[in-house]
Amino acid sequence: MITILSIILFTLLILVGKSRGLKTFGIFYLNLFLILVYLFIISIGLNAIIHAIIICIVVTATTLFGLNEVNVKTKSSFKAIMIILVIIFLLTFFIGKRANIQGFSAESLEAIGGYSFDINYDMTNVLIGMFLITTIGTIIDTSISISSALNEVHINNPHLDKKELYNSGMNIGKDIIATTINTLYFALVAEFIGFFMWHYGSGFGYIINYKSFVVEISKLLLSFIASILVIPLTSYIASRDLLK
Amino acid sequence: MNIKKKIIISFILSFLTILFVYNDYFLYKKPILKINDIKEKIENNGTTKEKNITQTISGTIKNGKYKGKEVKVINHTTTSGVYDEQLHKHSEVFVEVKSDLTAIGINGVKRDKYVVILIIIFINSIVFVAGRKGIKTIVSLIANIIISLLAILLFQKHARTWNMLILYLFVSIIFVTTSLLITNKKSKKTFSAIVSSIISFIVSFSLAFIIIKLYKKPIPYWTLEYIEAVHDYENFFYVTILLSGLGAIMDIAITISSSLHELILKDPTIKYKNLLKSGKEICKDILGTMNNVMLFTCFTSVIPMTFLLMKNNIVLGDAIKMYSQVEIIVILTSCINIVLAIPISLYVSAFMLHPSKKRKESI
Repeated sequence: MITILSIILFTLLILVGKSRGLKTFGIFYLNLFLILVYLFIISIGLNAIIHAIIICIVVTATTLFGLNEVNVKTKSSFKAIMIILVIIFLLTFFIGKRANIQGFSAESLEAIGGYSFDINYDMTNVLIGMFLITTIGTIIDTSISISSALNEVHINNPHLDKKELYNSGMNIGKDIIATTINTLYFALVAEFIGFFMWHYGSGFGYIINYKSFVVEISKLLLSFIASILVIPLTSYIASRDLLK
Repeated sequence: MNIKKKIIISFILSFLTILFVYNDYFLYKKPILKINDIKEKIENNGTTKEKNITQTISGTIKNGKYKGKEVKVINHTTTSGVYDEQLHKHSEVFVEVKSDLTAIGINGVKRDKYVVILIIIFINSIVFVAGRKGIKTIVSLIANIIISLLAILLFQKHARTWNMLILYLFVSIIFVTTSLLITNKKSKKTFSAIVSSIISFIVSFSLAFIIIKLYKKPIPYWTLEYIEAVHDYENFFYVTILLSGLGAIMDIAITISSSLHELILKDPTIKYKNLLKSGKEICKDILGTMNNVMLFTCFTSVIPMTFLLMKNNIVLGDAIKMYSQVEIIVILTSCINIVLAIPISLYVSAFMLHPSKKRKESI
């Protein structure tokens, strides 16, 4: 099934995007491969947080410089993403360490029941790593949209100064926020529907403190926050770098 | 209102909300224990790789009829924390208290404050970055959440006799219309984005449906998270596919219809053929980025499960086959739906936005 779908995706990408479609397909599978590499790395006992950060940096570099070229706009995106990664790391670290949301909830009990829980590995680290990798896709997407649009603005209006360029970056950002939030919401909504069907009839107070609900909603909100905060940062760094 | 005033007001509001949620014990009926002290006994009896921890917790009950009373409770946990909670001094837990003030056990951790903190950061950042458009986005998000909850309610009320897939096909149309109408002005380009989104998701979903139906081997639907809540495994799987790509399809539809609208505004006499040609260039630019968003946002949910399997000496390939196959199928079909949405949106928008008289002339 996976092979058939991959072939269909490959054909469609080539038909719509020609050489860019080929690159997209390559980057998509490379990123999937990197997530699997991450799983392998942590399963042999290495630190899940540090390696999640390394994987995020590698993914950013390959997606930015592979799908596009090495130029001012991708370089300034890269800088902005690194700063956002630090902010999101602090936030996920705070939530992950304090909220006790590592490991599994009662819904998974049937699936995990047959396995040993004696794994001698702190699941909190796996959770924080998962949060970081979840947000990286949308951060890259938003950041590159802003920096390439700003690049176009700069080419068409070379007389704009740093402040004007920053403002137009923010204007472009305002336009893409709504659709980005929408995309993320629907990407995760099926999990919420399943969750609510499972806990149908439970009260609000029960749900908002429930482990797997807090995991899902944190994932969603962290992705929202990351993709919003990357807008002013990319606008600032790109407007500075483009005028250098 | 100037920006300084706005910052001060939002800071005060956020602070008050956080203060409230840190002291909202009265909202709960179950007794909440605020931990004052934890004594830990860490031991390793030699039979396990991880260490077992026995936490003797003493704390104060914060609500209900035992409010203010000191209570002790014991919590068994491990250093891995796969299915247990290692509590900290700042944790608050729900407990069951007997009349002689002995707690019989922990019923879960109070986590509402973390959700509220994240929501506050989200609202503050979106309002400061996007202003009025940010507020509109929040409204559209709330509308979508309400529609989602109503759909679940409807489905459960009718004793699940309805076909889940057909219900969600209708709900998707409502999703598309409301979210696009709230975040965009009522105009021809919004209307064309709505039509192209609906056509895109129906066409691409039907295609995915046929491909999967034609495939003879069974797909392990039951490994999808929460699927046991739904009796109709197969239809829940299709609903997941349908909804996952929906936001991205709307994104593509509105981007293409706005760009075509711009092109027509700049040159009202543009020929239909040239409009399509410029549209195709725009398509190339938006291709690709969305696929990565889908991959990272959706696929990471399999990390904890796959990790546990691998720690149980199951090799990566088998772990993926057992528990991540469905997730990969969902992501791939969503990606196919997204890529298909690009040419569909292009032709639908071009057809709807191009002044019809001129189209006839150019053909």
